[in-house]
Amino acid sequence: MSASTAPFKERYRRSVGDPDLKPRLLAFQRSWRESRDAQVRRLEQRTERSFDELRREFAAVKDSTLKRIDDYIAEFRANAEAAGATVIELSTAEEAVNYIAAVCKSRGIDLVVKSKSMVSEEIELNHELEQRGVTAIETDLGEWLLQLAEERPSHLVMPAIHQKRQYVAEILGEELGREFDPDDIPTMVASARDGLRRHYLSAGAGLTGANALVAETGSIMVVTNEGNMRLATSLPDVHFVTAGIEKLIPSWNDAERQLQLLPRSATAQTLSTYTTCITGAQPGKEMHIILLDNGRRAMRNSDVIGDALRCIRCGACANVCPPYQVVGGHTFGHIYTGAIGLVNTTFHHGIADAAGPQGLCVSCGACHTVCPVDIPLPKQILEIRHRSHQAGHAPLWERVALRLWARPRLFHHMMGLAALGSGFARLIGLVRRDHLRAPLPRRLRWRSIPALPMRPGRSLVESRAPEPRLADSPAAGQTVDLFAQCLADRLLPTAVDSTAKLIEAGGASVQLPESQHCCGLPAFDAGDWDNARRMAKHTIEALEDSEREIVTPAPSCVISMQDHWPRLFADDAEWRSRAAAVSRRVHDLADWLEGPGRLPDGCLSNGEAAAWTAHRFCQTSNRGDAWGRIDTLVERLTGEAALPLDEPDVCCGFGGLTSLAAPEVGAGILERKLSCIADTGCETLITNNPGCVIHLRAGADSSGASHQTLHYADFLAARLPKHP
Amino acid sequence: MTTTSERTALFADGLRAAQGELAPCRTWDDIWQYAISLSDETPVVAPAAYAHLQQGELPDENEPLRSIADRSVGITVATLAVAETGSVLLLEPAPIDRAVSLLTRRLIVAVAESDIVDELADGFRWLAQQPRAAAYATFVTGPSRTADIERSLTIGVQGPSRLVVAVLA
Ligand code: SF4
Repeated sequence: MSASTAPFKERYRRSVGDPDLKPRLLAFQRSWRESRDAQVRRLEQRTERSFDELRREFAAVKDSTLKRIDDYIAEFRANAEAAGATVIELSTAEEAVNYIAAVCKSRGIDLVVKSKSMVSEEIELNHELEQRGVTAIETDLGEWLLQLAEERPSHLVMPAIHQKRQYVAEILGEELGREFDPDDIPTMVASARDGLRRHYLSAGAGLTGANALVAETGSIMVVTNEGNMRLATSLPDVHFVTAGIEKLIPSWNDAERQLQLLPRSATAQTLSTYTTCITGAQPGKEMHIILLDNGRRAMRNSDVIGDALRCIRCGACANVCPPYQVVGGHTFGHIYTGAIGLVNTTFHHGIADAAGPQGLCVSCGACHTVCPVDIPLPKQILEIRHRSHQAGHAPLWERVALRLWARPRLFHHMMGLAALGSGFARLIGLVRRDHLRAPLPRRLRWRSIPALPMRPGRSLVESRAPEPRLADSPAAGQTVDLFAQCLADRLLPTAVDSTAKLIEAGGASVQLPESQHCCGLPAFDAGDWDNARRMAKHTIEALEDSEREIVTPAPSCVISMQDHWPRLFADDAEWRSRAAAVSRRVHDLADWLEGPGRLPDGCLSNGEAAAWTAHRFCQTSNRGDAWGRIDTLVERLTGEAALPLDEPDVCCGFGGLTSLAAPEVGAGILERKLSCIADTGCETLITNNPGCVIHLRAGADSSGASHQTLHYADFLAARLPKHP
Repeated sequence: MTTTSERTALFADGLRAAQGELAPCRTWDDIWQYAISLSDETPVVAPAAYAHLQQGELPDENEPLRSIADRSVGITVATLAVAETGSVLLLEPAPIDRAVSLLTRRLIVAVAESDIVDELADGFRWLAQQPRAAAYATFVTGPSRTADIERSLTIGVQGPSRLVVAVLA
């Protein structure tokens, strides 16, 4: 069994054990990002439209086509058949394979040359044809290398990106019967060209995919860089096209719009080398266009997932995905890789094949920001996780942990015990710099275990006198409810207290609603929506008794209340409106300090110039929330400039339960983040999400980094005027 | 409004960005002289270009592709070019039309300066309006390439390794 077809756990183990994968994919992601951004900027300038406008316009084209897919298929069929093609609609992978095999058999064809087609991968065509006595040879260099190595693609556009040149030299050498110098890539490429050439000359059929099916003329459009597709459709007498029904677009005008987005997003090219349009069979030849459903209509009929059919297979969602960078596509995906693979695998291959990688997603939301057809991938991944949880694919430890978490009193008692334990550990010298010094299993050593402070945040707030008024904010004189967040309350109590102080400094007073616990995010994230609902209801009951504004140091809880609660209560009108009444009142602290609780510019300047930098919580950044820009807020209030941090919005690897379920993924992403932080030379790192503070602090401790990690509320509150 | 010379300059930028080259030719005669200066072999000429040149070797009618595989210089003609992307549009309905652009090592593409359009959208608009133009049409942007081995860009993997465009006056 090859590395790419083994069960998920095995694939995971192999990819985290490969020392070369991470750095190679990191270099790839960074260079793609830079050139893709430059391309998109140029496109925006030329068209005088934003990327968002452009992608929404094309998404609207895809949506309206999908809505009337049968009409467009009929139009496409009529036009393609008038031009001499045969168009056949098939429902399953098996039907597609059988059809191709039957045509080959009746024409006496035993060799098919293929240009890149993800649908042919989806239906595992090569393998299935082999069983039926037909050999299929991949002619795209990357695909051919995979075929020689008996592997699946690890990326939608760069299928062999995981292969090292030493490995390529080995498999090519074996196939072509000669030795290759792994550093001489041009010679390997030239020999591959010659090795492939003979297959074109003897093949009876060529098979291609299609990037678009143009209904108005019955044409296919295919985008390639090598030119193999043109060879595969010119030499043999039979041309098969395998394409999903979602590839239909109405017109050439739409084809052009797709091309504005596709090559720029895929390979950061203005246009790929060959954009080939073929209409009908060439004189004396046959063309068979196979339109495959294989779960696509079921996808279209799902409210949450339907949009995923817009996908144009550009691979951008993998190129910005932090866990993808750590484990690669053989682990982060099934046959379709990257974020889209986490979604569509369920429909093409079943929930069991989709379940494994679900826990690798850190929910950072980066995929959606670059998707050229505006697919709400993060939301869809959470939906699939939910389905996978319901189908019983969640690990036992996770199910138990969430069940405990969902019980506020039990959680409270357990945290109390843990705090006592930490206190004891402190006494006997097991705690240094706020982290336990107990030996950890190797897998977990990349992050120290924080010792729990004795007193929760809420009790710090309640046991001190109110912070004196520093300035009159618009909310001066009001009372606000503070939602501490379960995690911050216990693990980051000072951030809760500092949040209260900053609210009070603006002249408002702070209340801590009794019995508040957890908004339900950890359970929702894990797909355990029953426990998430239980926690959400508890929080709603705790917060709904007043009309006061609610402020929290935890942006993740704001997102949970605004985005996830409506989904949890989609079928329950009463709770939906109770939830909305609460979430309408909630503010992240940064949002508060720029809005109702706005403090004046420079009011927290203490004359010192700290060397600080800011990691911005990825979810707020990727959602496009202006209040996620804590660096701007802190600069405004303190008058101190942040040190520039590379990749300030890329996830830190906390990812909720991901860093527990897949510690190597959390560690890998953290390593990327810590190296960017180290490059700034900062003494203090601030960030806005409590979970990330804890994660980054523990990671810095374990790696011996010298900077301190603070919630920005603590950083700001330390600059409040000292008073006796 | 972009002027013809601005359009040509933009086209040249796009072509170069895609690793293509501009040939120092303004007439068909220039093209021929340029082609024979590149190699001792007789250039192979696509039927559409032969109509202008009246010299060079045409692909074999029965075995058009096999007959010219890996010949060193080929000449063909584009229907239009796109300034925005540096692409040339080749209409090649039959294998004999395609042979030269598919399989020669160095491909010279002639295009009339007046056939350079501003944007890809113009190219597609043209394509949509001409009946049967899309039978087998290709926007070619630079020479064939791959980055499949460790992302290292290698030019000339399966098609021509040099793409030279001659903009005819
Ligand atoms: S989901 Fe979007 S970003 Fe991902 S491959 Fe599809 S089109 Fe590209």
